[in-house]
Amino acid sequence: MTAVLDTRGVTKTFAGVQALSDVSLLVEPGERVGLIGPNGAGKTTFFNCVLGVLRAERGQVLLDGEDVSALPVHERARRGIGRTFQRIELFGESTVRDHLLIAERVRRGDGRLWRDLLGRGRPSADEVAACDRVLEQLGLAELAEEPIEHLSLGQGRLVEVGRALMTRPRLLLLDEPSSGLDRRETADLAATLRAVQQAQGFAILLVEHDVELVANFTSRSYVLDFGTLIAEGPTDEVLASSLVREAYLGPGGGPG
Amino acid sequence: MLAVTFIEDVLRGVLQGLPPGAVYGLIAIGFVLAYKTSGVFNLAFGAQAYISAGLYFQARNEWGWSNLAAFVLAVVIVAPAIGLILERLIFRHLPPGSALAKLVIAIGLSVALPNLFELVVGFEPVAGRTPEGLLNGGATVFYDPTGLYAFSRDELTALTIAIVSGLALAALFRFTPIGLQMRAVVESPRMTELNGIRADRVSAFSWALSSAFAGLAGVLIAPRFNTLAAPDFFNLVVVAVAAAAIGKLVSIPRAVAGGLGLGVLIALIDTFLPRLSEAQEWIEPIQDNVTPAVPFIVLFALVTLWPALRRSQEQSDPLAGVDPPPPVPAASVRTPFLTILTAVFGVCFFLVVGVVVVTRADVSWLFLITQAVIMSTIYLSVTVLTGFAGQISLCQGAFAAIGGFTVFQLADRFGASVLVAAVVGGVIAATVSALLALPLVRLGRVWVAIATLAFAAFFDAVVVKLPFVGGGGTSLLQGTRVPRPVLGPLDFANDRLFLGLAIVVFLACAYTVTAIRSGTVGRTLAALRGSEVASESIGISPTRARVTAFAVSGFLAGLGGAMLSIQQENVNYASNFAPFAALFWLVLIVSLGARTVEGAAYSGASFSLMDPLIFKGALLGWILRSEERIPGIFPISPKWRFVLFGLTTITFAKHPEGLVEDGKRKAHARVERWRARVRERRQDAEVTA
Repeated sequence: MTAVLDTRGVTKTFAGVQALSDVSLLVEPGERVGLIGPNGAGKTTFFNCVLGVLRAERGQVLLDGEDVSALPVHERARRGIGRTFQRIELFGESTVRDHLLIAERVRRGDGRLWRDLLGRGRPSADEVAACDRVLEQLGLAELAEEPIEHLSLGQGRLVEVGRALMTRPRLLLLDEPSSGLDRRETADLAATLRAVQQAQGFAILLVEHDVELVANFTSRSYVLDFGTLIAEGPTDEVLASSLVREAYLGPGGGPG
Repeated sequence: MLAVTFIEDVLRGVLQGLPPGAVYGLIAIGFVLAYKTSGVFNLAFGAQAYISAGLYFQARNEWGWSNLAAFVLAVVIVAPAIGLILERLIFRHLPPGSALAKLVIAIGLSVALPNLFELVVGFEPVAGRTPEGLLNGGATVFYDPTGLYAFSRDELTALTIAIVSGLALAALFRFTPIGLQMRAVVESPRMTELNGIRADRVSAFSWALSSAFAGLAGVLIAPRFNTLAAPDFFNLVVVAVAAAAIGKLVSIPRAVAGGLGLGVLIALIDTFLPRLSEAQEWIEPIQDNVTPAVPFIVLFALVTLWPALRRSQEQSDPLAGVDPPPPVPAASVRTPFLTILTAVFGVCFFLVVGVVVVTRADVSWLFLITQAVIMSTIYLSVTVLTGFAGQISLCQGAFAAIGGFTVFQLADRFGASVLVAAVVGGVIAATVSALLALPLVRLGRVWVAIATLAFAAFFDAVVVKLPFVGGGGTSLLQGTRVPRPVLGPLDFANDRLFLGLAIVVFLACAYTVTAIRSGTVGRTLAALRGSEVASESIGISPTRARVTAFAVSGFLAGLGGAMLSIQQENVNYASNFAPFAALFWLVLIVSLGARTVEGAAYSGASFSLMDPLIFKGALLGWILRSEERIPGIFPISPKWRFVLFGLTTITFAKHPEGLVEDGKRKAHARVERWRARVRERRQDAEVTA
């Protein structure tokens, strides 16, 4: 079976500082994989390389076996990578449903100028129904008409997930979804994500430094430290390894 | 022998280019200073230079002051004072990181300040009154130390003062604490304040300093112009930005080098281009205009081709996240009752106006109203680009002119149908706009504004002069004539009929704009405005979306420009479409409302009708039912219009949706409060009953 995501030797430097060196990892279809590491380990940089926001100096990014290393961000998104953001990125001045509608329209790819000019650019009943199904799954149905500015951070993160889901991703990249949320909100988010993921069968790569969330949510994990992968394997084993504790807590660190 | 002459020519060019280059360097220094310490891309810099130059001229020639006294007043006192006032009253209160708001306000100021100055001081730019330099005999006494090039006394003065002030500034940066503080404030004023430095004081100081450089440069450069007039000084900004861009906007020494380089480059081209055009005939008509266009070409090339500059995105303040988000648009939170009320009011208003126009308006009023409708059409192009796509374009005038010139060329020269030619004009403008957008759309918004400004200036200096655009020599005598269209039995030489045509065109364009807003393109652009990374992450191509917006905007501007030329039966490029004139369009529409069709309509009406209706006192005359009873302060100078709207852009920081939207929101709130009170009273009555 072809891996959904296969990165080979991804390397990125910023002004001489090695942010990522030779990072190779695999995500199989339908899998939930964690990517953990202390602050500044290069997790977000890796995400950005996978998505094409940053170009890696060396290495390849394969999506379903296709090399997407040379493609711009939006092309990679259309080929099946969805994402959320650590610092939340929503569209101001629009409602919750608008966020999903635009993603649905882009996925369908029939947004031509002449359609707009003929007055056929408004959302169809079909599109609205598709969005409402996802909002229902995420428990956002009641908020569909709310302006985005009225939402809490936790709800905002769910809108980001919903927007990403409308693109029908093969792989969903979650960038620190717990940041800014309290324990209960994080647990709720994890439960919702798991339910949706099991229903739709896409793979998830989770970047997180909340160890508890990673332990509960992922089956397999990679550990990044100073831009290098230092461990991989089943999540509970990885989290128990002394190497990982050292990376998080320094040499001779106590139990994590 | 030939080689020796060549080297001598080159050296002569270098010497000749140094004095203006040094002044360009001075402007660039001031520009970089303001940008570095307050993040403001100060396009009003040219206006500030103009004020000092004008004040110096006025004090010396009209008030009979000595050169030194006039210099002290214009450069040492007034120039820094303007900087301080701008900083204290305006720029200090803007949230850091609001680069677009700062740019818009600076554009507003460059329209408002020159007019305000002319009104206050009573200064009038008059052709033929050549400005004089700092020393007497500046243009008549020459020195030739090298035997290659004779410097005028003005040139030597400029060169010396530029060198001295440049060195003084370098010393200030290097040896004083305030220099270090100035650099810290750029990164984040709030962070600097956490370290115990009063950011506002540093910022005020650097504004005063930067403005003094503007004033100094203005006085030094003035003798190079034939007439002291604001548009020339506005073009200076482009030169300054080009020089500053060479230093990536942050390096003062490189900006100075950039300024000197530009000066020398211009002088060299001046020397060698005439020889080249002897061999290449096509150069001849544009030969005289290539030289002034050099800074624009350099700037455009830098912005689009230099990756390092492109990557220097808008500054982001680490603490910017604490600023509250902008308000939700008024129409989206309006109750159905209000929607109906608005619609009823609108229909009644236009019915009354329509009846009055058809039955009562004379030729001159008909002309103005038609112009208002056509300007509204042009302004819809700004609605699409600025309101929907969030991009500031300073070359809408050029796109409109393309429409006008197309009609002129096709109809007057080739006898094509005028209406078809107008549409073709729109299509050509759309094509040019889309091609222009291609290298620009991934730049930061400030750079898009600057690059479009460079294009507008280039269009103005070179393209208009080409025979297949502006008509060349014969058109200078005959004007760029455009006939009125005839459609079957309808002859649009009739002004009332033509007004009807203008309204039909406007309504069609308004429909286009609203259809785009509610359709895919509008939603895509809204998403991009909200978050570019998030938009890309769901598969939106920013390039495609923005090029589409530019193309649509170009088409609307081109069509509108064609209509305006047809109305005036002449393109009238200089008064209608020149860059400085078109700057006011942006100021107007951004103040009133760039997001809605209404905003465009209000802007069109204000452009054409405000002056005759309000400033000339006609409205008051109708209210008082007598022209004799109009108070003596009328007619008010039309320049107040520029001052008024220029200063209104200051509200952009608080109300980016514009005054019309803001007013609507307040009116809605008032009506809702009134309804609530009525409801309460009714309930109370029921309870007591």
